[in-house]
Amino acid sequence: MLLQILIQGFLLSGLYALIAVGFTLIFGIGRILNLAHGSYLMAGGYAFFWIGQIIGLPKIIGVALAVFLGAGMGIAIYRLIVRPLKGDRIAVEIATLILAVILQAAIVLIFGSSSKIPHPLVPGVVRIADTPIAWSILVATCASWIILLSLYAFIRLSHTGRAMQAVSMDPKGAAICGIDSNRIDIIVWSISGGLGALAGVFFAGYTQLSPSMWVTPLIISVAVVIVGGIGSIMGTLAVAHIIGFMEVIVTTLIAPELRGVFTMGLIIVALLFRPRGLFGREEI
Amino acid sequence: MTIALGISDLGKRFGGLVAIDGLSLAIDDGESVGLIGPNGAGKTTIIGLIMGELRPDSGRIDLFGKDISPLGVAERIRCGISRTWQIPRPFANLSVIENIRIGSMPDSLRGMIFDRSDPIRERELAMSVGLAKNDLERKASDLAMGDLRKLEMARTLAAGARILLLDEVFAGLTVGEIDHIAAVIQNLRSRGITFLIVSHDLPALAPLIDRAVAIDRGRVIAEGPLDDILDHPDVRDSYLGR
Amino acid sequence: MDIGRHHLALWAIAAAGLFVLPSLVGSGILRTLILANYLAIFAISWDVLSGRTGYISFGQPFLIGIGAYTTAILTKRFDVPMEISIPAAVLVTMVGGLIVLLPALRLRGSYFALVTLALMELCYQLVQVIRPDITGGTRGMSGLPTLTRGASNGYYLSTGLMLTIALTAWMLMRTRLGLALSAIGMDEGAVQGAGLSPTRLKSFAFLASAFIAGLGGAFYTHYLGSIAPRALFDITFLFTILAAALIGGSGTVIGPILGAFFLTFLLEWLRPLLPGAERYFVYGLVALLLYMYQPAGILAIIERVRVRLFGDSRSG
Repeated sequence: MLLQILIQGFLLSGLYALIAVGFTLIFGIGRILNLAHGSYLMAGGYAFFWIGQIIGLPKIIGVALAVFLGAGMGIAIYRLIVRPLKGDRIAVEIATLILAVILQAAIVLIFGSSSKIPHPLVPGVVRIADTPIAWSILVATCASWIILLSLYAFIRLSHTGRAMQAVSMDPKGAAICGIDSNRIDIIVWSISGGLGALAGVFFAGYTQLSPSMWVTPLIISVAVVIVGGIGSIMGTLAVAHIIGFMEVIVTTLIAPELRGVFTMGLIIVALLFRPRGLFGREEI
Repeated sequence: MTIALGISDLGKRFGGLVAIDGLSLAIDDGESVGLIGPNGAGKTTIIGLIMGELRPDSGRIDLFGKDISPLGVAERIRCGISRTWQIPRPFANLSVIENIRIGSMPDSLRGMIFDRSDPIRERELAMSVGLAKNDLERKASDLAMGDLRKLEMARTLAAGARILLLDEVFAGLTVGEIDHIAAVIQNLRSRGITFLIVSHDLPALAPLIDRAVAIDRGRVIAEGPLDDILDHPDVRDSYLGR
Repeated sequence: MDIGRHHLALWAIAAAGLFVLPSLVGSGILRTLILANYLAIFAISWDVLSGRTGYISFGQPFLIGIGAYTTAILTKRFDVPMEISIPAAVLVTMVGGLIVLLPALRLRGSYFALVTLALMELCYQLVQVIRPDITGGTRGMSGLPTLTRGASNGYYLSTGLMLTIALTAWMLMRTRLGLALSAIGMDEGAVQGAGLSPTRLKSFAFLASAFIAGLGGAFYTHYLGSIAPRALFDITFLFTILAAALIGGSGTVIGPILGAFFLTFLLEWLRPLLPGAERYFVYGLVALLLYMYQPAGILAIIERVRVRLFGDSRSG
């Protein structure tokens, strides 16, 4: 039982971290909450499904298309919504929420309202310590970790990454140093969208594809930002594990229906008692 | 003479930083006092503490002999003390007269709903700080800095302020506007309003005050006529740095 | 004044028009009007809080749902008559309003909106898990008593309710209280600096908003005769309310009403062209474009047209 919770917890948390990392990046760089973040996952999941099961091309093309689609959406949201609203955070929140509803309707328009079950990324089941685990989930978690660590390295070591850090600490100061913050914003928004869509491909393996599938990952991302109070990658990983493990523990020990209740409760409690989050405010 | 505002042994720290360090100060009714000191001396913090926006760690504050330490901000304002901000904070989308109306409202829902506003008094208040008649219906966001400072003073007077705390009242003003504001302050002084004025603009400040208090690192380092304390060695040191 | 008599006549014509409408149009249009009336009530309830004080609530469905569920449970499970259950529902919703107020005392802006969103989702999950024998679980409840029979009575009831609420809200917002609430939305610290207690003003706005939401939610439930959690605690429902208020013009009373009627009828006209949930696609696009490029809403567009046609001669 304990071992099972540990394995499940780590698997789920890795995915949660990938789901939330794009959301926290955006929050970190402009303190902006993009409520259409869940839509990247939906778009990614459906793009993967479309390539693999409707067109019939290899899955890897589906993954690639999902990432490009997500990145494009990220840039589009930045250019068409965030920039025109000039960083009015509340207006961005309202506009992205409306956008999420539009995209949900668009999915119904294209694919219909019934749920779809995508083929697993990698078929088959592996047994680890008597627990059956789908290969696709194991692959998803490993991929999440690899991506998150490389993203961390990118931000710490590359020139662009350091510019991102600078913008997140002090946009004006960064501008004085000759950093084109517009370019940085576009890079961050496309990374955020691409990773979100990729997470959607993995996430679809956990649940199913449905037009309302964007809500759960959005709530998870919100929880990560609120509970962590941060835009950092390591913080995202840490809080994703808190939430992931909490959900697994609630599901196995109390009742599966309550997992969402606890996540929501965590958001509310965190905001009321630690409005700045567990780790306070930090840069990327 | 009654003491309008009495501050005794006030202390406030932010984390490890001691912002106000056992500061005492008394202002007589109808007096005008200038508060000067280098950047970071604690001038704005004192105003925040007097108004109750910040909670002091020690000390007490009396208004006309009454301890106001336990009161909240709105209650203190009802006791007759009010402030303006270094950067004016008008209600940008409301007209000048509506801004003043907010200040003159009773702090009760019933009063706000059922009592009528007093347009004559609102108008008089606007005139008394030198706002032009045809500015009254303009949106506050359209006003120039000097008019915003006037508007803020009118709003505090509307709330019944007898003691005004002005924070950097000349900041961001043109020379002409400084003269205007100075005239308004002189006019209010002649009507018995008590002032505590924070300013870096010493030439502009000099004619408006009866005496000055110089502070540094949260402590009073000199008190007296402005010319005298500017010669005070501690004051010179604090401005020039050691 | 001349203007006064002129206005009075206009109001009388409008009232008479509203009264004879059911005998002129079919019951299909009447049902659409009923929906528009309830949406207008919900949008006013959102606007009293968010349009004025600037505390953007994503949790209005939470309040409406509390009202709806309270009266549904009381009438269905405990056989309480509606005369008692509806006032009880309003009271319980106001308690819910206090729950929303709590975070507003500590948080501002975008975080506050998120808590209210979390509250709504939390309610959706809780309703399904806690005592499904009482709440009806995922499927909700049906066969609730209804207040009226037939479309025309439903139309009279909903129109009367909507107009009463709108008129009360309008008169209240014209007083200095309305001014003070708008001031909160601009600079809460300066309201305090003007000697007014922001907490008291916010409490009023939240309770008034909850009152309207509870009243609307309860009547709406007894109009539908059924209740379903996914239709209430739902982002699409939230979106509809928000869109109505924002499109019409928030910070006013007439704006949300205009928005509600515009959106409801838009939705109806799209029905033959785009059956099913796809309508929300067009609906959402209109809402988003208007929000992005005309944040003051339809009301501002009408005003601009009026000024262009008749010149800028406001009579007050």
